[in-house]
Amino acid sequence: MTSSQSGSLSTHAYQDSTPMPADVPKVAEIGVTSAPLKSAAFFLGAYCKEFNDDFMLCKNESRDPGHCLKEGRRVTRCATDLITKMRENCLQQFESHWECLERNNQEYHLCRKPERTLNSCMFEKLGLTKTIPGSPAGKLPIHEVQNPIYKGIQK
Amino acid sequence: MPPTGGFESLKYKRNLPYKGPGAYVLLGGVTAICAYGFYRLGKGNLERRELQREKVWSRIHLVPLFLAEGDRDMYRRQQAAIAREKEIMKDVPGWEAGKSVYNSSKYRSPEIVIL
Repeated sequence: MTSSQSGSLSTHAYQDSTPMPADVPKVAEIGVTSAPLKSAAFFLGAYCKEFNDDFMLCKNESRDPGHCLKEGRRVTRCATDLITKMRENCLQQFESHWECLERNNQEYHLCRKPERTLNSCMFEKLGLTKTIPGSPAGKLPIHEVQNPIYKGIQK
Repeated sequence: MPPTGGFESLKYKRNLPYKGPGAYVLLGGVTAICAYGFYRLGKGNLERRELQREKVWSRIHLVPLFLAEGDRDMYRRQQAAIAREKEIMKDVPGWEAGKSVYNSSKYRSPEIVIL
């Protein structure tokens, strides 16, 4: 009754199988792995800025997980929406970038070439640009430097 | 008697063949190479700082998404734990399931996790 797992040592990770209370609206989880998320991170920050800020301000009020469920659902829906749009508009560029990240320890500076094609595609199709907050003014942002010192050894 | 044509001239001059560039050239060269190296190092440090900023911001942008997903799971398990507590303590009059042990409305993550 109290636990869905026997008291003896178990070989599999414990999972609470109790479903979400029925009064909470359902939302599909994002279900995207780390590399595509890292590839989409800056566009996510640009596209879902209002929802993200709203959610984080709400979390600032209270850390209670039940406090910001509504805002959290909006955040997840917005992220799912962006990933769908990216896949509709820039599927090939998106995939080549995140596969490059997957191969290169998820380092941005080793995947500038596919990143630039993705950035230009995202700007053309969706009007989203990658901006890094806080980078020094008057200098080229690091993702646009043509001949950086830190780059892959192989051409 | 001396040989005809006289004696061969004596080799008394120092014979020091050329052994590469001089000290000042070497010193200058080493200084120049080091200066260029330090210049590249400084550039690289600035660049690494920017790469770090890029990495950090890519994670900051993802924080709300992960936090929202984690919150939903946490909320679900919390509700399950409260339901279990209610079931166990149903015979104890005046028991409030899920009540904090502290006299404060501030949220605290649960100290007991049932496996």
